Amino acid sequence: MEEKVLEILEEYCEEAISYTGDNMMEEGVIDSFTVINVVSELEDVFDIEIDAKYVVAENFRNKEAIIELVRQLTEE
Amino acid sequence: MRTDFEKVVVIGYGKATGEILKYTDVRRTDYGYDLEFIEHEPHALSVTRQICEERGIPFASMPDRRELGGYLARMEEKTLIVSASNNFLFPAALVEREQVTIINFHNALLPDYPGRNAPSWVIYQGGERTGITWHYVTAGVDEGNIIVQKSCEIGPDTKAYELTQRLMDLACEGFRECFDSVLQETAEAKPQRFSPDRKLYRSTEIPGGGFLHLEEEPEKLYRLLRSVDYGKSGIFPPLQTEVEGARAEILRYRKIALEKRGEEADTLYLPLADGNLLKIKYRVL
Repeated sequence: MEEKVLEILEEYCEEAISYTGDNMMEEGVIDSFTVINVVSELEDVFDIEIDAKYVVAENFRNKEAIIELVRQLTEE
Repeated sequence: MRTDFEKVVVIGYGKATGEILKYTDVRRTDYGYDLEFIEHEPHALSVTRQICEERGIPFASMPDRRELGGYLARMEEKTLIVSASNNFLFPAALVEREQVTIINFHNALLPDYPGRNAPSWVIYQGGERTGITWHYVTAGVDEGNIIVQKSCEIGPDTKAYELTQRLMDLACEGFRECFDSVLQETAEAKPQRFSPDRKLYRSTEIPGGGFLHLEEEPEKLYRLLRSVDYGKSGIFPPLQTEVEGARAEILRYRKIALEKRGEEADTLYLPLADGNLLKIKYRVL
Protein backbone atom coordinates (compact mmCIF):
# COMPACT_ATOMS: atom_id res chain seq x y z
CA MET A 1 0.00 0.00 0.00
CA GLU A 2 2.78 2.41 0.99
CA GLU A 3 4.55 1.87 -2.28
CA LYS A 4 1.42 2.69 -4.26
CA VAL A 5 0.78 5.88 -2.25
CA LEU A 6 4.34 6.99 -2.89
CA GLU A 7 3.95 6.25 -6.61
CA ILE A 8 0.88 8.48 -6.74
CA LEU A 9 2.63 11.22 -4.80
CA GLU A 10 5.62 11.02 -7.08
CA GLU A 11 3.38 11.39 -10.10
CA TYR A 12 1.68 14.55 -8.86
CA CYS A 13 4.20 16.06 -6.48
CA GLU A 14 7.71 14.68 -6.73
CA GLU A 15 8.97 17.09 -4.09
CA ALA A 16 6.74 15.44 -1.50
CA ILE A 17 8.82 12.26 -1.69
CA SER A 18 12.03 13.90 -0.50
CA TYR A 19 10.31 16.34 1.88
CA THR A 20 11.24 15.63 5.51
CA GLY A 21 9.36 18.39 7.36
CA ASP A 22 5.86 18.34 8.77
CA ASN A 23 3.93 21.01 6.90
CA MET A 24 4.02 20.54 3.16
CA MET A 25 1.16 22.94 2.53
CA GLU A 26 2.50 25.88 4.48
CA GLU A 27 5.94 25.34 3.02
CA GLY A 28 4.54 25.37 -0.51
CA VAL A 29 5.60 21.81 -1.36
CA ILE A 30 2.04 20.82 -2.22
CA ASP A 31 -0.89 23.09 -3.05
CA SER A 32 -4.63 22.63 -2.78
CA PHE A 33 -5.00 21.71 -6.45
CA THR A 34 -2.38 18.98 -6.22
CA VAL A 35 -4.18 17.67 -3.14
CA ILE A 36 -7.34 17.31 -5.26
CA ASN A 37 -5.42 15.25 -7.82
CA VAL A 38 -3.79 13.08 -5.18
CA VAL A 39 -7.11 12.47 -3.38
CA SER A 40 -8.84 11.58 -6.64
CA GLU A 41 -6.10 9.11 -7.56
CA LEU A 42 -6.00 7.55 -4.07
CA GLU A 43 -9.77 7.04 -4.15
CA ASP A 44 -9.59 5.36 -7.52
CA VAL A 45 -6.60 3.15 -6.84
CA PHE A 46 -7.67 2.01 -3.36
CA ASP A 47 -11.42 2.14 -4.07
CA ILE A 48 -12.01 4.28 -0.99
CA GLU A 49 -13.97 7.43 -0.25
CA ILE A 50 -11.91 10.22 1.24
CA ASP A 51 -14.48 12.43 2.87
CA ALA A 52 -13.93 16.20 2.80
CA LYS A 53 -13.36 16.18 6.57
CA TYR A 54 -10.08 14.31 5.96
CA VAL A 55 -8.88 16.72 3.28
CA VAL A 56 -7.15 19.12 5.65
CA ALA A 57 -3.56 20.35 5.87
CA GLU A 58 -2.89 18.08 8.87
CA ASN A 59 -3.45 14.92 6.80
CA PHE A 60 -1.25 16.23 3.99
CA ARG A 61 1.58 17.55 6.17
CA ASN A 62 4.02 14.94 4.78
CA LYS A 63 4.04 11.61 2.94
CA GLU A 64 3.82 9.63 6.21
CA ALA A 65 0.57 11.42 7.14
CA ILE A 66 -0.93 10.60 3.74
CA ILE A 67 0.07 6.93 4.06
CA GLU A 68 -1.47 6.86 7.54
CA LEU A 69 -4.70 8.38 6.23
CA VAL A 70 -4.96 5.77 3.48
CA ARG A 71 -4.14 3.01 5.96
CA GLN A 72 -6.99 4.13 8.23
CA LEU A 73 -9.47 4.40 5.39
CA THR A 74 -8.61 1.06 3.82
CA GLU A 75 -8.97 -0.65 7.20
CA GLU A 76 -12.44 0.81 7.81
CA MET B 1 6.63 55.44 -7.63
CA ARG B 2 3.67 57.41 -6.43
CA THR B 3 0.11 56.65 -5.48
CA ASP B 4 -2.55 58.53 -3.58
CA PHE B 5 -3.81 55.27 -2.09
CA GLU B 6 -2.84 55.06 1.54
CA LYS B 7 -4.08 51.55 2.06
CA VAL B 8 -4.52 48.33 0.08
CA VAL B 9 -6.91 45.70 1.44
CA VAL B 10 -6.85 42.21 -0.07
CA ILE B 11 -9.98 40.07 0.40
CA GLY B 12 -10.36 36.47 -0.69
CA TYR B 13 -9.16 32.93 -0.21
CA GLY B 14 -7.11 30.37 -2.06
CA LYS B 15 -3.99 30.19 -4.13
CA ALA B 16 -4.41 33.31 -6.27
CA THR B 17 -5.25 35.39 -3.23
CA GLY B 18 -2.06 34.19 -1.54
CA GLU B 19 0.03 35.13 -4.55
CA ILE B 20 -1.64 38.52 -4.89
CA LEU B 21 -1.11 39.15 -1.21
CA LYS B 22 2.59 38.38 -1.55
CA TYR B 23 2.87 40.64 -4.59
CA THR B 24 1.12 43.58 -2.94
CA ASP B 25 3.39 43.09 0.06
CA VAL B 26 6.51 43.26 -2.12
CA ARG B 27 5.22 46.37 -3.88
CA ARG B 28 4.69 48.16 -0.55
CA THR B 29 8.32 49.17 -0.71
CA ASP B 30 7.68 51.01 -4.01
CA TYR B 31 4.56 52.85 -2.94
CA GLY B 32 4.50 52.94 0.86
CA TYR B 33 0.82 52.01 1.31
CA ASP B 34 -0.44 50.10 4.33
CA LEU B 35 -1.54 46.56 3.55
CA GLU B 36 -4.04 44.31 5.27
CA PHE B 37 -5.77 41.05 4.51
CA ILE B 38 -9.33 40.04 5.25
CA GLU B 39 -10.49 36.45 5.12
CA HIS B 40 -14.23 36.37 4.52
CA GLU B 41 -14.62 32.67 3.71
CA PRO B 42 -12.31 30.33 5.63
CA HIS B 43 -10.89 27.48 3.55
CA ALA B 44 -9.47 24.22 4.95
CA LEU B 45 -6.33 24.37 2.83
CA SER B 46 -5.82 28.12 2.76
CA VAL B 47 -2.36 29.44 3.55
CA THR B 48 -3.14 33.17 3.61
CA ARG B 49 -2.98 33.32 7.41
CA GLN B 50 0.54 31.87 7.32
CA ILE B 51 1.59 34.34 4.63
CA CYS B 52 0.32 37.20 6.81
CA GLU B 53 2.09 35.89 9.89
CA GLU B 54 5.38 35.42 8.06
CA ARG B 55 5.28 38.87 6.49
CA GLY B 56 3.73 40.85 9.31
CA ILE B 57 0.58 41.70 7.34
CA PRO B 58 -2.45 42.45 9.54
CA PHE B 59 -4.91 39.55 9.20
CA ALA B 60 -8.59 39.64 10.06
CA SER B 61 -11.19 36.92 9.73
CA MET B 62 -14.65 38.36 9.07
CA PRO B 63 -17.08 35.64 8.01
CA ASP B 64 -20.04 37.83 8.86
CA ARG B 65 -21.16 39.94 5.89
CA ARG B 66 -22.49 42.79 7.99
CA GLU B 67 -19.34 42.97 10.06
CA LEU B 68 -17.20 43.05 6.91
CA GLY B 69 -19.41 45.62 5.20
CA GLY B 70 -19.36 47.81 8.30
CA TYR B 71 -15.61 47.53 8.68
CA LEU B 72 -14.96 48.55 5.08
CA ALA B 73 -17.50 51.38 5.27
CA ARG B 74 -15.64 52.91 8.21
CA MET B 75 -12.34 53.23 6.35
CA GLU B 76 -11.22 56.83 6.28
CA GLU B 77 -8.06 56.59 4.20
CA LYS B 78 -8.01 56.47 0.41
CA THR B 79 -8.20 52.72 -0.03
CA LEU B 80 -7.81 50.20 -2.83
CA ILE B 81 -9.71 46.99 -2.14
CA VAL B 82 -8.46 44.00 -4.12
CA SER B 83 -11.13 41.33 -4.29
CA ALA B 84 -9.56 38.05 -5.40
CA SER B 85 -11.57 34.82 -5.30
CA ASN B 86 -14.04 36.56 -3.08
CA ASN B 87 -17.78 36.00 -3.02
CA PHE B 88 -18.69 38.95 -0.82
CA LEU B 89 -20.91 41.39 -2.69
CA PHE B 90 -19.82 44.91 -1.88
CA PRO B 91 -22.74 47.10 -0.78
CA ALA B 92 -23.61 49.96 -3.14
CA ALA B 93 -22.93 52.50 -0.40
CA LEU B 94 -19.34 51.27 -0.14
CA VAL B 95 -18.78 51.05 -3.89
CA GLU B 96 -19.92 54.63 -4.30
CA ARG B 97 -17.59 56.08 -1.66
CA GLU B 98 -15.12 58.42 -3.26
CA GLN B 99 -12.10 57.35 -1.23
CA VAL B 100 -12.66 53.65 -1.97
CA THR B 101 -11.76 51.91 -5.23
CA ILE B 102 -12.50 48.21 -5.59
CA ILE B 103 -11.12 45.88 -8.21
CA ASN B 104 -12.29 42.30 -8.60
CA PHE B 105 -10.99 39.23 -10.38
CA HIS B 106 -13.73 37.34 -12.21
CA ASN B 107 -12.98 33.85 -13.50
CA ALA B 108 -14.40 34.29 -17.00
CA LEU B 109 -14.09 36.66 -19.92
CA LEU B 110 -16.71 39.24 -19.01
CA PRO B 111 -19.31 40.08 -20.13
CA ASP B 112 -19.63 36.28 -20.60
CA TYR B 113 -20.48 34.11 -17.61
CA PRO B 114 -21.06 36.73 -14.91
CA GLY B 115 -21.92 35.51 -11.42
CA ARG B 116 -20.86 32.37 -9.63
CA ASN B 117 -18.98 29.24 -10.67
CA ALA B 118 -18.15 30.48 -14.16
CA PRO B 119 -15.57 27.72 -14.90
CA SER B 120 -18.31 25.14 -14.33
CA TRP B 121 -20.73 26.76 -16.72
CA VAL B 122 -18.21 27.23 -19.49
CA ILE B 123 -17.14 23.54 -19.28
CA TYR B 124 -20.74 22.35 -19.08
CA GLN B 125 -21.69 24.37 -22.14
CA GLY B 126 -18.76 22.98 -24.10
CA GLY B 127 -16.74 26.19 -24.33
CA GLU B 128 -13.30 25.85 -25.84
CA ARG B 129 -11.86 29.11 -24.49
CA THR B 130 -12.29 31.13 -21.37
CA GLY B 131 -10.20 33.40 -19.20
CA ILE B 132 -10.15 35.96 -16.45
CA THR B 133 -11.16 39.57 -16.09
CA TRP B 134 -9.93 42.19 -13.64
CA HIS B 135 -12.57 44.89 -13.46
CA TYR B 136 -13.63 47.80 -11.34
CA VAL B 137 -16.45 46.98 -8.99
CA THR B 138 -19.74 48.78 -9.36
CA ALA B 139 -23.09 48.22 -7.65
CA GLY B 140 -24.08 45.67 -10.33
CA VAL B 141 -22.58 42.17 -10.17
CA ASP B 142 -19.59 41.78 -12.52
CA GLU B 143 -20.70 44.84 -14.49
CA GLY B 144 -17.78 47.20 -13.94
CA ASN B 145 -15.32 48.44 -16.50
CA ILE B 146 -12.69 45.96 -17.64
CA ILE B 147 -9.07 46.66 -16.69
CA VAL B 148 -7.38 43.58 -18.11
CA GLN B 149 -8.33 40.16 -19.51
CA LYS B 150 -6.33 36.99 -20.10
CA SER B 151 -7.55 33.93 -21.95
CA CYS B 152 -6.78 30.23 -22.14
CA GLU B 153 -8.01 27.09 -23.89
CA ILE B 154 -10.22 24.47 -22.32
CA GLY B 155 -9.07 20.94 -23.12
CA PRO B 156 -11.46 18.09 -23.87
CA ASP B 157 -10.74 16.51 -20.47
CA THR B 158 -10.36 19.67 -18.39
CA LYS B 159 -12.04 19.47 -14.99
CA ALA B 160 -13.41 22.45 -13.12
CA TYR B 161 -10.63 22.47 -10.54
CA GLU B 162 -7.96 22.25 -13.24
CA LEU B 163 -9.48 25.14 -15.11
CA THR B 164 -9.77 27.08 -11.87
CA GLN B 165 -6.08 26.53 -11.22
CA ARG B 166 -5.18 27.82 -14.69
CA LEU B 167 -7.47 30.83 -14.23
CA MET B 168 -5.87 31.65 -10.90
CA ASP B 169 -2.46 31.67 -12.53
CA LEU B 170 -3.84 34.01 -15.20
CA ALA B 171 -5.40 36.17 -12.49
CA CYS B 172 -2.00 36.62 -10.86
CA GLU B 173 -0.44 37.42 -14.23
CA GLY B 174 -3.16 39.97 -15.01
CA PHE B 175 -2.88 41.53 -11.58
CA ARG B 176 0.85 42.06 -11.91
CA GLU B 177 0.23 43.70 -15.27
CA CYS B 178 -2.39 46.16 -14.12
CA PHE B 179 -1.48 46.87 -10.50
CA ASP B 180 0.71 49.92 -11.19
CA SER B 181 -1.83 51.57 -13.45
CA VAL B 182 -4.61 50.94 -10.94
CA LEU B 183 -2.55 52.38 -8.11
CA GLN B 184 -1.54 55.35 -10.22
CA GLU B 185 -5.14 55.72 -11.43
CA THR B 186 -4.09 55.62 -15.05
CA ALA B 187 -5.68 52.29 -16.02
CA GLU B 188 -7.65 52.46 -19.26
CA ALA B 189 -10.75 50.53 -18.31
CA LYS B 190 -13.21 49.54 -20.99
CA PRO B 191 -16.96 49.44 -20.44
CA GLN B 192 -18.68 46.10 -20.94
CA ARG B 193 -21.23 45.60 -23.69
CA PHE B 194 -24.09 43.55 -22.38
CA SER B 195 -26.30 41.41 -24.57
CA PRO B 196 -30.04 41.64 -23.90
CA ASP B 197 -30.09 37.99 -22.80
CA ARG B 198 -27.23 38.40 -20.30
CA LYS B 199 -27.59 35.71 -17.66
CA LEU B 200 -26.21 36.09 -14.16
CA TYR B 201 -25.31 32.67 -12.74
CA ARG B 202 -26.30 32.22 -9.13
CA SER B 203 -24.69 30.11 -6.42
CA THR B 204 -27.80 27.97 -6.12
CA GLU B 205 -27.68 26.89 -9.78
CA ILE B 206 -26.01 23.60 -10.62
CA PRO B 207 -25.07 22.52 -14.15
CA GLY B 208 -27.53 19.97 -15.46
CA GLY B 209 -29.66 20.56 -12.40
CA GLY B 210 -27.22 18.28 -10.58
CA PHE B 211 -28.69 15.21 -12.28
CA LEU B 212 -27.01 12.85 -14.73
CA HIS B 213 -29.53 11.64 -17.30
CA LEU B 214 -27.89 8.43 -18.43
CA GLU B 215 -29.80 8.35 -21.69
CA GLU B 216 -27.91 11.45 -22.85
CA GLU B 217 -24.74 11.35 -24.92
CA PRO B 218 -21.73 10.19 -22.86
CA GLU B 219 -19.83 13.30 -24.02
CA LYS B 220 -22.47 15.50 -22.44
CA LEU B 221 -22.39 13.45 -19.25
CA TYR B 222 -18.60 13.74 -19.18
CA ARG B 223 -18.88 17.51 -19.54
CA LEU B 224 -21.34 17.64 -16.68
CA LEU B 225 -19.12 15.49 -14.47
CA ARG B 226 -16.07 17.62 -15.23
CA SER B 227 -17.98 20.87 -14.78
CA VAL B 228 -18.82 20.19 -11.13
CA ASP B 229 -15.52 18.54 -10.24
CA TYR B 230 -13.84 20.66 -7.58
CA GLY B 231 -12.47 17.70 -5.64
CA LYS B 232 -13.74 17.71 -2.08
CA SER B 233 -14.44 21.41 -1.84
CA GLY B 234 -18.20 20.90 -1.69
CA ILE B 235 -18.99 23.74 -4.10
CA PHE B 236 -21.72 21.56 -5.51
CA PRO B 237 -23.50 18.61 -3.92
CA PRO B 238 -22.64 15.21 -5.46
CA LEU B 239 -24.40 14.62 -8.76
CA GLN B 240 -27.24 12.15 -8.70
CA THR B 241 -28.59 9.75 -11.26
CA GLU B 242 -31.01 6.87 -11.58
CA VAL B 243 -29.69 3.35 -12.15
CA GLU B 244 -32.20 0.58 -12.84
CA GLY B 245 -34.95 2.55 -11.15
CA ALA B 246 -32.94 3.38 -8.04
CA ARG B 247 -31.68 6.82 -7.10
CA ALA B 248 -27.91 6.91 -6.89
CA GLU B 249 -25.18 9.37 -6.02
CA ILE B 250 -22.08 9.71 -8.17
CA LEU B 251 -18.91 8.98 -6.21
CA ARG B 252 -16.29 9.47 -8.89
CA TYR B 253 -15.62 9.16 -12.58
CA ARG B 254 -12.72 8.73 -14.93
CA LYS B 255 -12.01 8.42 -18.61
CA ILE B 256 -10.29 5.07 -19.17
CA ALA B 257 -8.97 3.08 -22.11
CA LEU B 258 -11.26 0.36 -23.44
CA GLU B 259 -8.98 -2.45 -22.24
CA LYS B 260 -9.05 -1.12 -18.67
CA ARG B 261 -12.71 -1.99 -18.29
CA GLY B 262 -13.25 -4.00 -15.13
CA GLU B 263 -16.12 -5.79 -13.48
CA GLU B 264 -16.48 -3.59 -10.42
CA ALA B 265 -19.84 -3.36 -8.70
CA ASP B 266 -21.86 -0.14 -8.82
CA THR B 267 -19.90 1.07 -11.82
CA LEU B 268 -21.09 2.22 -15.21
CA TYR B 269 -18.98 2.11 -18.35
CA LEU B 270 -20.17 4.37 -21.15
CA PRO B 271 -18.49 4.47 -24.57
CA LEU B 272 -17.05 7.84 -25.60
CA ALA B 273 -16.67 8.94 -29.20
CA ASP B 274 -12.86 9.02 -28.90
CA GLY B 275 -12.78 5.25 -28.30
CA ASN B 276 -12.33 5.47 -24.53
CA LEU B 277 -14.80 4.64 -21.79
CA LEU B 278 -16.37 6.90 -19.22
CA LYS B 279 -16.21 5.00 -15.94
CA ILE B 280 -18.68 6.20 -13.33
CA LYS B 281 -18.71 4.82 -9.81
CA TYR B 282 -21.98 5.35 -7.93
CA ARG B 283 -23.69 4.52 -4.65
CA VAL B 284 -27.37 3.62 -4.51
CA LEU B 285 -29.14 5.88 -2.03
